Amino acid sequence: MATINVNGVRREVQAPGDTPLLYVLRNDLELSGPQFGCGIAQCGACSVLIDGKEVRSCVTALSEVTPNQEITTLEGLPARWAKQKGISAEQAKNTLHPVQQAWIEEQTPQCGFCQNGMMIKATELLEGNPNPTLAQIKVAFTTSGLSPNLCRCGTYVAIIDAVKHAGEIMAGRR
Amino acid sequence: METTNQNQVNVFGATLSRRQFIKAGGVLVVGGSLVGPKVLKGEDAKPTTLKNSLDASLPSSWIEIHPDNTILIRTGKNDFGQGSTFTAYPQIVAEELSVPFEAITTVVQGGTDCTPDGSGAFDFLGDGMPNIRKVAAYTYQALLDLASERIGVAKDKLTVKDGIVSGGGKSISYGDLVKNQQLKLTIPVRGNLTGIIGLTVDGNPPMKPVSEYKVIGKSVRNSAITLKVTAKENWATDVRLPGMLHARVVHPKTLGSTLVSAGELDKSKFPNSQVIVKGNLVGVVAPTEWEAIQAAMQVAGATKWTEWKGLPGNAKLYQHLRDEADWKSTPVMQGHANKGNAESTLAAAAKKLSATYQLSYMKHAPIGPTMAVADVKADGTVHIHTHNQNPQQLRGEIAMMLHTTPDRVIVHAYPGPGHYGRSNGGNAGAEDEAVILSQAVGKPVRVQWMRADDMQWSTQSPASFSDVQLAIDEKGKMTAYQIDHYMPAMQDDRLIGAVLAGLPTMPAPDVHSDFITSTMNNISDEWVYAPVPNVVERGHGTFQVGQRASPLAVGLRDHSMRTPVQFQQNYPRELAISEAASLARADAIQFRIDHASEERAIGVLKAVRDASGWDTRPSPRPDAVSTGSTPVRGRGVSLLYRNLTYWACVCEISVTPATGAIVVEKCTFAVDPGIVINPVHLKRQVEGGAVMGIGHALLEEVMFDESGVTTDDWNSYPVPTMADLPEIKVVLLHNPAVGKYGGGSEAANALAAPAIAAAFHDATGKVIRRLPMKPTYVQAVLKT
Repeated sequence: MATINVNGVRREVQAPGDTPLLYVLRNDLELSGPQFGCGIAQCGACSVLIDGKEVRSCVTALSEVTPNQEITTLEGLPARWAKQKGISAEQAKNTLHPVQQAWIEEQTPQCGFCQNGMMIKATELLEGNPNPTLAQIKVAFTTSGLSPNLCRCGTYVAIIDAVKHAGEIMAGRR
Repeated sequence: METTNQNQVNVFGATLSRRQFIKAGGVLVVGGSLVGPKVLKGEDAKPTTLKNSLDASLPSSWIEIHPDNTILIRTGKNDFGQGSTFTAYPQIVAEELSVPFEAITTVVQGGTDCTPDGSGAFDFLGDGMPNIRKVAAYTYQALLDLASERIGVAKDKLTVKDGIVSGGGKSISYGDLVKNQQLKLTIPVRGNLTGIIGLTVDGNPPMKPVSEYKVIGKSVRNSAITLKVTAKENWATDVRLPGMLHARVVHPKTLGSTLVSAGELDKSKFPNSQVIVKGNLVGVVAPTEWEAIQAAMQVAGATKWTEWKGLPGNAKLYQHLRDEADWKSTPVMQGHANKGNAESTLAAAAKKLSATYQLSYMKHAPIGPTMAVADVKADGTVHIHTHNQNPQQLRGEIAMMLHTTPDRVIVHAYPGPGHYGRSNGGNAGAEDEAVILSQAVGKPVRVQWMRADDMQWSTQSPASFSDVQLAIDEKGKMTAYQIDHYMPAMQDDRLIGAVLAGLPTMPAPDVHSDFITSTMNNISDEWVYAPVPNVVERGHGTFQVGQRASPLAVGLRDHSMRTPVQFQQNYPRELAISEAASLARADAIQFRIDHASEERAIGVLKAVRDASGWDTRPSPRPDAVSTGSTPVRGRGVSLLYRNLTYWACVCEISVTPATGAIVVEKCTFAVDPGIVINPVHLKRQVEGGAVMGIGHALLEEVMFDESGVTTDDWNSYPVPTMADLPEIKVVLLHNPAVGKYGGGSEAANALAAPAIAAAFHDATGKVIRRLPMKPTYVQAVLKT
């Protein structure tokens, strides 16, 4: 039995400690944001935030995560934004994270399977720097993590457009 | 309006019938009826069709109009990231019905129990006449008939705006027309529901004039995107059934290995797991996914297979294709544009190009490996939950495997990772394995392929080569063009689980003229240089590499992939045309314009020339350099016509001769699809396709040895990352005079490779005629 903190809620899970966090999130907690893409930290489809840092849940064992660490999945982005902005829990239910808003405004996904990881990576980037340059965005999505975040549909232009768009919302410029 | 009996009205060949008046609710449903007695081949398909798919009183109609003025549409096509079913399709229906886009509140897609027409997730718009458009046109006419009857005004005196029919000072909404009634419109269809093309709507109902379009041309949003980015989408990967077991398949050691003995499960470590063996199919099932993965790894290590070496390996691939493959058994296909006498013209040519072009094996490489959940019930009913391009055809294939009828197989369709053609013939890889394992354990089973399974056991886009000869006269005109394309069979839709388990499935590719599993190599690249007087295009086909040597009849299985066949034929053609321009000392764009007659082809070439800032001059550039560590720059162009759409592309690159590294710095696309339905979504599709095309051009090559595919992950099969992204500029040429919708989601991936290769020639003066243009291959060319 392990206790983890997912999207602001403490959860008890029965899975063995060596279980990759991805399977715990998907199968035990029935979250659908993180996806299985490679299982070997080469693509980013499974990404979550742990204490604000993008982590590949497919190579992170359940036992590596402490109860005090804050896991945020795609599902938890609106509440994360609401907390950062001091929005009430009630209002937060109708709120989207600026990254999600921007991904819709820019019509970014095609098949969308990788976009969980893209949005998680964008959130990590923009929380530290809401006004990234093109070069900084490219670094974030290629060399900042365990591997580049891969999109087989090739939506990188739309991702860059959406990162800039989201940054403007987060910085109050939009 | 012709009344055939009290309750039936003939609407341009469709039949409108009123079943009964009801007190509450009401609906107009629009379904199909088959024309002609022999359209469904074989006994098996009939129950399927009649039971689940064509009676519009069942929830399988194309369109439903509800009393609250909302509209539901259904399509057998399943979205794979093109977005067409959520953007273009409702836009088309809204347009033909003269309702706002927002009136179409629901799109049902894909599933065999809930959609009417089958077919695959391809060619959404490419024939310019998707089923859904004709269906909407029939429906509009039926609604006018109903309104005419209701308000007593002749049909030709009625007008419609925003779903309100008006005439003679009276008006009525569509919702009120259907209120308290059960109306059914039966429209004529033809085809084979479980075939690759599915059913096609017949007849010629009047269409709305393009000049009156209001909804088409607007960049409406894709509703599925909202679900996906807010984690509300119900993905195939999310399907969990009560009692479901997780499974992994231990695939054979090589593409020709048979099972010697399945590994024994270590029950002390994996007490809840079970090994299932059927023929050469070895599966491991467990209640949890992590146990299934670990147990399968343990079993895989202990499983013994026969050895097999029947593939040429990468190093000998082209020599094998040229010298050892059987090109004689399969009839040579001739191009539609063949004319004149190329041979004698070539013999007397002032200048001549004679060259061979080679393309690699490529993977569809979905970002998530294939998976499926199957539930084979005790009564023999089969439910499959999957992300599949052609659920109806999968249904037929599974029925064949299980010796049952298609009506007992129900395929539920969900979103998933795009796989660019891999399942357009009915299976993505895991579905049949899930069915076999579910049947064996009597419980629902979820088969998830791991990354290596997907790289090594899925189909791939076949390698190919083409021999080109062309002649240039003294005036710089191309007087003859001859191309011979050589490619192994491209459409192997056999169920791999059935092949391994020894269960029935379609035969391996062979010499016949059916589209599926044929070795024939059709000419797919539309010829766009009509003024050239002597043209020969020939397609040579053969068996898949290793197919006949493998005891499993497997070998390197091939499958169509984004812009199939045309990619393999357009790359050599367009690079050769750029080389021909150089021979003629002509500018590559002007040379193409001078050899084209179709206005739209010339239009995209001029548009891409303007938008890219192209400097008109011959290639290579005067200061071309093929040595040194200083990057040199060049630019090239390509042209393609597919699915009613003209494409032109300019790529600007830098090459570092010392390292062989090519960087694409800018891509400019000009696209004329006829009518642009949704500008933002077309632009996004072109951008994405451009990136994939850069991958095909520079990175993607399936590596294999004598036994099997050695490419097994994203390191050994690199695809473009954001670091590879050039500046991409897209120019959309809205051309309503064409009157049709060309396909715009697909072909963008085919343009980059020949334009990049031409740019390489421009920069270095050397020609590289092999894909992908990896640094090692580039360096080899630069040393020549």
